[in-house]
Amino acid sequence: MVREDLGLTGSKKGCGIGDCGACTMLVNGVATFSCMMLAIQADGCVVETVESLAENGKLNKLQQSFVDLGAIQCGYCTPGMLMTATELLRRNPHPSEKEIRLALSGNLCRCTGYQKIVDAIKAVAGE
Amino acid sequence: MILPRFDVLVPNSVDEAFAMLSRYAEKGIRILAGGTDLLVDLRRPIIPAAIPSCEGCARHKSGSIRSTVDCGWWESDSSRESDRALLTKVQDSIHKYPEYIISLHKLKELRGIAVNEKVNLRVGAMTTITDIERSGIIREKWTALAEGADSLGSPLVRNRGTIGGNIANARPAADTFIPSVALGGVLDIHSEKGSRKVPVDSFASAPGETVMEKGEMITGIEYPAPPEFSGSAYYKLANRKALEICNVGVAVWIALEKPGGPVTDIRVALGAVGPTPILAESVKEVLVGKKPEDANIKKAAKAAREDATPIDDHRGSAWYRSMMVELVTDRMIRLAVERVGGKV
Amino acid sequence: MSKNNSYKILNTRLPRVDAIDKVTGKAIYTDDMSFPGMLYGAILHSPLAHARILNIDTSRAERLPGVKAVVTYKEAGTQPYGVSPARYDETIFCHDKVRYIGDEIAAVAAVDKDTALEAVSFIKVDFEELPVLLDGRHAMDEGQPQLHDMYKNNICARVNWNFGDIEKGRKESHIIRTDHITSKMQDAAFMEPQSVVAEVDSHGNLTMWSSTQAPHYIQRTLAMALNMPLHKVRVIKPAVGGGFGPKASCSTVELATCLLALKTGKPVKTTLDREQVFLHSRARHQFFHTMTTGVKKDGTLSFLEHHCILDGGAYASFGIATVYYAGSLLGGPYRLKNMKYDGYRVVTNKPACGAQRGHGAVIARAAFEVQLDRIAEELGMDPIELRLKNVMEAGETTCNELFVSSFGMKEALEAVRDSAAWKKKRSLAGKTRGTGKGIGAACGFFVSGAGYPIYRSKTYHCTVVTKVDEVGGGVTVSSGAADIGQGSDTVLAMITAEELGLPLDDVRVVSGDSNLSVDLGAYSSRTTLMTGHACKDAARDIKRQILEVIGGKLNIPPEKLDLKDGRVVGIDKDIDFSALREEYLQEHKGFMDLPEGPQLTFREASRIAFLEIGSVVGTGSYRPPKLGGSFKGATVGTSPAFGCSAQVAEVSVDLETGEVTVDNITGAHDCGFAINRTQVEGQMQGSMMMGMGEALMEQIIYNDKGRIMNANLAEYKIPTSLDVPHLDAIIVESNEPHGPYGAKEVGEGAIMPVIPSILNAIYDATGVRIDELPVTPERIIEALKKKRENK
Repeated sequence: MVREDLGLTGSKKGCGIGDCGACTMLVNGVATFSCMMLAIQADGCVVETVESLAENGKLNKLQQSFVDLGAIQCGYCTPGMLMTATELLRRNPHPSEKEIRLALSGNLCRCTGYQKIVDAIKAVAGE
Repeated sequence: MILPRFDVLVPNSVDEAFAMLSRYAEKGIRILAGGTDLLVDLRRPIIPAAIPSCEGCARHKSGSIRSTVDCGWWESDSSRESDRALLTKVQDSIHKYPEYIISLHKLKELRGIAVNEKVNLRVGAMTTITDIERSGIIREKWTALAEGADSLGSPLVRNRGTIGGNIANARPAADTFIPSVALGGVLDIHSEKGSRKVPVDSFASAPGETVMEKGEMITGIEYPAPPEFSGSAYYKLANRKALEICNVGVAVWIALEKPGGPVTDIRVALGAVGPTPILAESVKEVLVGKKPEDANIKKAAKAAREDATPIDDHRGSAWYRSMMVELVTDRMIRLAVERVGGKV
Repeated sequence: MSKNNSYKILNTRLPRVDAIDKVTGKAIYTDDMSFPGMLYGAILHSPLAHARILNIDTSRAERLPGVKAVVTYKEAGTQPYGVSPARYDETIFCHDKVRYIGDEIAAVAAVDKDTALEAVSFIKVDFEELPVLLDGRHAMDEGQPQLHDMYKNNICARVNWNFGDIEKGRKESHIIRTDHITSKMQDAAFMEPQSVVAEVDSHGNLTMWSSTQAPHYIQRTLAMALNMPLHKVRVIKPAVGGGFGPKASCSTVELATCLLALKTGKPVKTTLDREQVFLHSRARHQFFHTMTTGVKKDGTLSFLEHHCILDGGAYASFGIATVYYAGSLLGGPYRLKNMKYDGYRVVTNKPACGAQRGHGAVIARAAFEVQLDRIAEELGMDPIELRLKNVMEAGETTCNELFVSSFGMKEALEAVRDSAAWKKKRSLAGKTRGTGKGIGAACGFFVSGAGYPIYRSKTYHCTVVTKVDEVGGGVTVSSGAADIGQGSDTVLAMITAEELGLPLDDVRVVSGDSNLSVDLGAYSSRTTLMTGHACKDAARDIKRQILEVIGGKLNIPPEKLDLKDGRVVGIDKDIDFSALREEYLQEHKGFMDLPEGPQLTFREASRIAFLEIGSVVGTGSYRPPKLGGSFKGATVGTSPAFGCSAQVAEVSVDLETGEVTVDNITGAHDCGFAINRTQVEGQMQGSMMMGMGEALMEQIIYNDKGRIMNANLAEYKIPTSLDVPHLDAIIVESNEPHGPYGAKEVGEGAIMPVIPSILNAIYDATGVRIDELPVTPERIIEALKKKRENK
């Protein structure tokens, strides 16, 4: 529904059954795969997608860090990764590498080996 | 994801939910908790596995289960044997592809973790796995449950998935089901007609099959307060470190007279080595009254292996699972004993 | 290692040109596209692995409201197509037989996805079931079910090579060993399922947007199979969410969607479900390798005798290249004078296999590198020493006539040895083998672009057209190259910016469109070297034209001028550009952002060049020189350059459960010259993760009917962030003479040493060898059990 009816195509469909995390959004602040949710379940909830991260066309710190440190290759997992990382950093602004890896463990990436994604989140968390 | 057509009912109270469950029981209704299992299960198959061919139907020659249901011929009287056989299949499919889905997401009263005055733990059916994972009291006193939560799926699955859903699906590898058996959990099952309590260890009869009747729903699960000098542990053996389906899972709860002292009670639950999570009864016979010493623990682990009935499937071989049941049981008993403050 | 040269743009860590679009959700992938009135396509897949089609009845599907077209072979025709012209064994839809569960029988276009899927389920197919062939090892045996008339005994391709003198090598050998390794079919598991949108305009021009790696080949296949003139077919690649090989061949979903668009006159979109991605596959073959290797007493390799059966599933796809690569790429990176190879690529009733990262060579490399370790143990030699003794150097030619013009193999091997503290850890582990901690090493060797196109042709492999903005200022690079996430657009932008002295933001790259230029696509790690050459030439062409105009106007020889930091500068002395500036300023009355300073800006120079000569367009074309020997199949494995790599893996193994934890991976890759250092590391780290998955957990599992039991990302296990350790990527630069700026490949070569280094580390940790991939906990325990029982 978010992709087709609202035209917010930033969230990606990678598996449709909650295995890959490409469609991760925040629902009332909780990282949620949207493929496993009926629209009616989000009724009245605050939903945040990757489109909501940049404000007035300016990347936020996390996005900028992904760009600067090369955390992106094909980019298909990127929106989901960013949303999961956003939730983590709100909950725990200074996560350790282990906590970062744990938080990302439901977001599959086939390009980067996760290294530069972890590095990019660490760079923001270390501030 | 393409789902078949169904109506979604959203009750505002548990009573309303019970009423809906009872009203639509015959038409087919399934409960949507976190959705991490149900919505996967409901998808239209890309390759229909076994389409009952609708031979007797005047309205169409063949089709998917759904279209067979939609077609409605099965409602007509038919005396033919083959039609009756098909009718059974179609009726099964109504259970799988129901007309109604009841979503419990508004029932806040079903979500929550509470410890009552008797220090029993009550976890609402709609409590998410993440809630359990982050609960300090569960990690401290019902450790195996916290460890089951840790190892279930991924953080994203845990954010949506609920303990009620995980248990109701009755899969032999369910990561909160297995420790719930060891911890002596008791389910609260309600319907419009009333309520009953069912111990988790007698809840499932086969994969996906439970003692629940039409119109019933799990509202919560209660765990007895752990006595002094008791502890628990859960470990899931799998091939990768997240997003895994348990290959062998063992949960152990043990109570000792004192740290290092004789075993007063033990419950060992085995996952993915039988049609349902198994309570390894013979471990109790081997270990109760004995000291948690090396030789006794080894014997207990062997007994657990005897209780397991693993099969060969695409996730693993029976021989490996059987061997691992013994090993992981051994390790988990030792870990639980250490958690009580003893040393093996 | 840090940048150490005079480049401003190249060899840096500039962000990718598409990075911002990708972190804001703006990047458009095929499934993100929609058009007014667009229909949705769905595919009917075979539920049986092998059956004759007796009848297809689509009438009920056609009657379903909302259905606009139903197509089967009756509409599509039966023109055979495939990847290699010698093995055109597919048709758009099955007509006589189905050959695997998932084989495509029909397609539907309807007003929405749900209707399309429902209609598909209404198509009734009568089958006559045929015996099923699933075991590739026995596919060639007498009496097996036969899949295709054109493949006698199910042999789709065979290679029999004999280089040097095996018997002589055998006689010289001190140790000879024979070992086997088998693997399972694997999936590329890119994150974006294939998606296609097709549209036909009022002049009959077909445009297809597809998540493809190779617009040019797909364009050819569409035109051929749909019987259309090539110039009427245009293939555009939007953002692609990974490919790794399977997206390099034309798929039924592409052909069927075009057919539905042609039939309905409306735009049609078909997006595969994840399960369909597995069914379509075209990913890693299953390999059964047997290798016999001999070495002299001092460790010098004397011969390799190699036998391999490749189970390729139901159709050829890229499989001929695969069976050749499996043999040819063992020619390096070691000096090996005598090599015999017998390879058989067979067909079975499983989804067709094709190319996947490290095409054909990955499991062969694993088998050989494991065998080298076993030989080192027999010789009592350190495995890295054994390798160092045999590695080739730049300027050498392999026994199968592959010439290596640059070769940082020794440097890479020494780099990982030292960086991972090999000497210290290995000697410790040597004494304590089987204690659960292990360390292992391996090398790799790969082409930097296939030397020849897939179809026999003198075609340029790529062309680039770069045009200067006629208003002055930036440039647009047009190329058919396919950025599938590896970052080729960024490479092209960086090369152009470097040559023209421009900031990266003033270079726009338009790519992935068959209308823009011929480019063979993103496969065989070819783009940086090949398209990079064309891009460099196109930029230099522009530079020449601009400087000729400016020089001509000022009466200065153009070679005394240069483009730097966005300006025209004199090489020997300062130049007075004021007359030219005046010309520019006169045109721009009222503009506020006007150039100033003593030097002429690129904006001025490019506008003045346009005023003088009209459009300033630079072109570049590249094709490799004639490469390789003259024996049959000599073209496969040739390349203008070869990448090489080394890796050390460290693992912990639970000796009771068999669980493996990879603690560390240190890899070094010789990419010749890193155009973008971050991207080179990214390719290496991605390779490490993929190789680790293939070593430890990835396998397609079939039941006895030929149905995939794990066609999803829950049970087809790829490593998660918790499985992958810190990945240490070391860049080695050997300055490749045939590459632009010295650059060559990294995308695929980097995966070569991953699997064997992990296998060798597991042996070190456990004391047992596991000859079947992936090395699951169960297989480790099985091997340990066997070892105990044999004692």
